[in-house]
Amino acid sequence: MIQVSRLVKIYSAGEIQVVALQDVSLEIAAGEFVSVMGPSGSGKSTLMNILGCLDTPTSGSYKLDGVEISSLDDTGMAKARNLKIGFVFQNFNLLPRMTALRNVEIPMLYAGIDAKERVKRATAMLERVGLAGRINHRPSQLSGGQVQRVAIARALVNEPAVLLTDEPTGNLDTTSGEEILAIFQDLNRNGATIVLVTHERDIALHTSRIIHFRDGRLVDDEKVDSPLDAVEQLKKQRTVPAALSEGTRFAQTGEGDAR
Amino acid sequence: MNLLESIRVALEGIQANKLRSFLTTLGIVIGIAAVIAVVAIGQGGQAVLMAEMEKVGTNIFFVSVDWNDESSHKGFSAGDVQVLKDRLPGITHLSANSSNTDNVRGPKKKKYCTVQGVSSDYSFISKMTMKEGRFFSSGDDGLGRRVAVLDEALADEIFGRADPVGNMVSIGSTPFLVIGLVAKGESIFGFSENVNAYIPGKTWRNIYGSYISNLQGSAVSKEKVQETMEQAVKVLERRHPGVQYTSQSMEQIKQSAGKITGIMTLVISAIAGISLFVGGIGVMNIMLVSVTERTREIGIRKALGARRKDILVQFLIESVVLSVLGGIIGMAVGIGGAFIIAKVAKWPPLVSWWTALLAFAFSACIGVIFGLLPANKAAKMDPIEALRRD
Ligand SMILES: Nc1ncnc2c1ncn2[C@@H]1O[C@H](COP(=O)(O)OP(=O)(O)O)[C@@H](O)[C@H]1O
Ligand SMILES: [Mg+2]
Repeated sequence: MIQVSRLVKIYSAGEIQVVALQDVSLEIAAGEFVSVMGPSGSGKSTLMNILGCLDTPTSGSYKLDGVEISSLDDTGMAKARNLKIGFVFQNFNLLPRMTALRNVEIPMLYAGIDAKERVKRATAMLERVGLAGRINHRPSQLSGGQVQRVAIARALVNEPAVLLTDEPTGNLDTTSGEEILAIFQDLNRNGATIVLVTHERDIALHTSRIIHFRDGRLVDDEKVDSPLDAVEQLKKQRTVPAALSEGTRFAQTGEGDAR
Repeated sequence: MNLLESIRVALEGIQANKLRSFLTTLGIVIGIAAVIAVVAIGQGGQAVLMAEMEKVGTNIFFVSVDWNDESSHKGFSAGDVQVLKDRLPGITHLSANSSNTDNVRGPKKKKYCTVQGVSSDYSFISKMTMKEGRFFSSGDDGLGRRVAVLDEALADEIFGRADPVGNMVSIGSTPFLVIGLVAKGESIFGFSENVNAYIPGKTWRNIYGSYISNLQGSAVSKEKVQETMEQAVKVLERRHPGVQYTSQSMEQIKQSAGKITGIMTLVISAIAGISLFVGGIGVMNIMLVSVTERTREIGIRKALGARRKDILVQFLIESVVLSVLGGIIGMAVGIGGAFIIAKVAKWPPLVSWWTALLAFAFSACIGVIFGLLPANKAAKMDPIEALRRD
């Protein structure tokens, strides 16, 4: 799915040059749930932006779904971002003036899907992430966890080959973060390829493979034998994510209420 | 992204900044309003002017002596009128005109006004309607009788309630018998009505000792005017060797008047066009601000698959929508203004569909032209740079 070899990214601001990625090579197969971990400034976001076709490497090769990305022009890159990649950001990046539904429609807009189909698919996707009752809310009327779920719906709506997410829980409380991870795990179980960036081992342990970064280098490729299950984690916190409960409303478990 | 969606996004943007959008379009509003109003008023005025001239008669012509000529006073003789009428079958009526200003004294008061010495044909040529009495005859003219015809407005002023016809007035120091009153013409133009005294040409020349200033005639038809007046000039040149004549038909005057009003409309429209240009710069300015403000939005859209073209089109459409909104408001204001001014000036407001269409197209063009730079700036943004901005 993703083949990266000898990737180098150098930022140069005048005299100063920052080497953000040094000779990074890695492969991620279809259906994997991988996390990229490392301390702040280790080059995780730089890698993700390149994988997301938002940025271009200084040198090296990046093949997505067998296509060499550096050979693409603006339209080709836009098409890759639109159809091959779903990106979920730490700071959500929804358009504030638009409702959840309209936000989720955006990728389909650029894919040339007609209005009726767009609404249908966006609604279904929002239901899938547990926001059936919130489709006409604006981001300011939603909680952080809900906003991130809108962003996930938006990332998934064009059925991308890979879901890339950079610190998706970074701006969320533990419970909301766990709910988001539960959604990712559910998606992964249904065949989605996911790359998740985090600096927290607790979060990385929800994935089956951890790629360690330090100073722009890939230093370790760790296999997680038994990843943490987000739903189990939530049960420990006595909550169940809305996306996975039967109802569309956020449901508290009965035991929780009964003490 | 399709057009409808782009327009929707543009309208949302405009709605989010209502006051700013309104102020931005103000330049275009004023420009379009001014162009439409000026063109409508100009065309209305022109139509009225043409109608007025049509009423005067398009088969009328004038022959006068070239003013540069030293011998201008010898240009016409009293016999010319009869000779021309006899020789040229194209002439139906002909009058030898002179004019002066003098005091006309009635029983109530006196008035300093124009005293015209004309031939008996004058009343036909200038389509006079007599309110009372009669116009003077060729006999009155031939004998140099002291009879006068007054414009109704003049008679009202100097006679008051008394009946003018059959009574005396003095013009200068000479007593005249009033034999007729000329009815007020209805003038849609709103020009001040005529306040003239008309006396036989010969009488006029006897009193003022001056000369015939021009000949005014009517031809059998509009088509014959040109030919007839040229023939008249030839005859006159043979009768008065060395004198140069110029001739002019009402048709020619009408055409040049039309040209002048047309040019005036064009000039004022051009000035109004400058306002449109300034309005366009306003749109460009606000679009640049908008692009900067929405850098993040651009980054998000690009990250979700927008091509350069999509972003370009989105901002172009926003700028066009803004300009066209201004254009529509301007059109409404302009048409309203044209109607009000036309009402005050008492002439028909002619808002032609092509002016409205042109204004609409023009405001859209302004949107495209002045939106191009900001939209291009937006389209060229690097997605990752744009996303980093906040
Ligand atoms: N636009 C940029 N210009 C210059 N240096 C940058 C830029 N973006 C990131 N860097 C540098 O590259 C390195 C890696 O950054 P980043 O990939 O954001 O790290 P991480 O996401 O792991 O915290 C850091 O040293 C950072 O300062
Ligand atoms: Mg980062």
